[in-house]
Amino acid sequence: MRGIRAALILLGAVGMAYGAWLLVSRQDLGQIVEVAVWLAAAIVIHDGILAPAVLGLGWRGGRLLPRAAARGAVVVLVLLGPATLVAIPVLGRFGAKPDNPTLLDRDYTQGLLVFAILCVCAGVAVALGELRSPHPTAEEE
Amino acid sequence: MRIPSEGSFTSRLRSAAVAARVGLWLGICFLVALVTGLISHYAQLDHQPAPLPASPSRLYQLTQGLHVVAGTAAIPLLLVKLWVVFPKLFQPMPRQVREALPTALERGSIAVLVSTSLVQLTTGVLNVAQWYPWGFSFRSTHYALAFVAVGALLIHIAVKLPVVRDALTGDVDDTAHDRPNARRPGPVSRRGVMVLAGASALATAFLYTAGTVPNVGRIAALSPRSRKHGIPINRTAHSAGVVAAASSSAYRLEVVHGGTTRSLTRDDLAAMEQRTCTLPIACVEGWSATGDWGGVRLRDLLDLVDAPRGREVRVRSIQTFSASADTVLPPNFADDDRTLLALMLDGETLSMDHGCPVRLIAPDRPGVMQTKWVSRIEVL
Repeated sequence: MRGIRAALILLGAVGMAYGAWLLVSRQDLGQIVEVAVWLAAAIVIHDGILAPAVLGLGWRGGRLLPRAAARGAVVVLVLLGPATLVAIPVLGRFGAKPDNPTLLDRDYTQGLLVFAILCVCAGVAVALGELRSPHPTAEEE
Repeated sequence: MRIPSEGSFTSRLRSAAVAARVGLWLGICFLVALVTGLISHYAQLDHQPAPLPASPSRLYQLTQGLHVVAGTAAIPLLLVKLWVVFPKLFQPMPRQVREALPTALERGSIAVLVSTSLVQLTTGVLNVAQWYPWGFSFRSTHYALAFVAVGALLIHIAVKLPVVRDALTGDVDDTAHDRPNARRPGPVSRRGVMVLAGASALATAFLYTAGTVPNVGRIAALSPRSRKHGIPINRTAHSAGVVAAASSSAYRLEVVHGGTTRSLTRDDLAAMEQRTCTLPIACVEGWSATGDWGGVRLRDLLDLVDAPRGREVRVRSIQTFSASADTVLPPNFADDDRTLLALMLDGETLSMDHGCPVRLIAPDRPGVMQTKWVSRIEVL
């Protein structure tokens, strides 16, 4: 086990060093700085905005919603939240090109709406299931 | 607002037993994305030390499809994983320098892992939708950060190995590695979290990447591509700036071997023996679509200039800028019977945006290397 861990750490350090060298050796300084800004922004946006927002939702939901509704809400959040984030580039059609009709060729707002309805249906089904079962299952006690 | 401490988080869902399991799936996605990504970069080398096989013709379609599927599926998994381990962000640093240094190194590697993972997945998703709100090269950056992310991941696995092993061999409801006050039941069970994370990963990957898959592509509601307009197009003739040259009567295809050059019009090509082949266009962006291509076998053209077998062949486009302006076919691709200079697609004359007058179509190659608007074929 000790040997495996040491080997993994060594291999990982080599990988990181190689990647960092690739990053700084193949682009100009302005581009490298922009990558660094993106790396920092990723942490700030996740840890500073997204995660606290989800924590806030969880905290409020836990207090305001009865257990069955909270279950349903978690189902909707976990299924719909990531899909909505992934859909940002297509919803905004930021990459659209006027001369290329084969790119971004769907109604994405409608598509996401239909998926959202399906997620809400799943949430409602889970909440109703909870209401029907008289006791919480053993694993949740 | 008060800054929370690690102890402020009391849900029993935030457990090593959950983190290890979601982490395992996430690790599998990263491994698949790494291997398929390396294959894709290797396939795009002009002179491969050992050429990739030309068969099966759908191999690249499969590996690059998997690359994009694994990356997209990793997004919900990463978000759930980060939710589970979020309290660790508020762990106090040890006071003594001897303990603080390894802790600082470990937490630094975690910061690198989280930030490179987020940037890899984000830039990958944006690339699929062709949105580039940055000035750096997507290709070089995605390649370089892959090594940083996977390196940081290996260190993370090494540090956590004993806990991971315990957690994965134990039950998901085990509390052996939990913080003592993380006892409050969540709205769903730990198994529920796992099921939801898995379902979210599958749903997101399907919705975003399955757009060109036969039959089900229609309901992949968030995919940037579909088969609605036939085989999708990445760069149009207009944006490549080739409209005038490609439709000019002065167009010639030059085939060059040493001192021998043959100049061919589109009619000359159409008068040669025509072959048909069913081959996919498989884009680095993950989409792929199969067409029935008709045209002249590359080997027949090479025979016109008495080129021997077993040589590399450079294929140049009318377009001059961009990475797809010229590519080199390794010998096994140049001599393959399925490698065509296509004049027809699905029974119709090749459209301008698909590479008219003539385009390269070869088995098992990234779409970006299926050169359109070919002007010159050169035996190396």
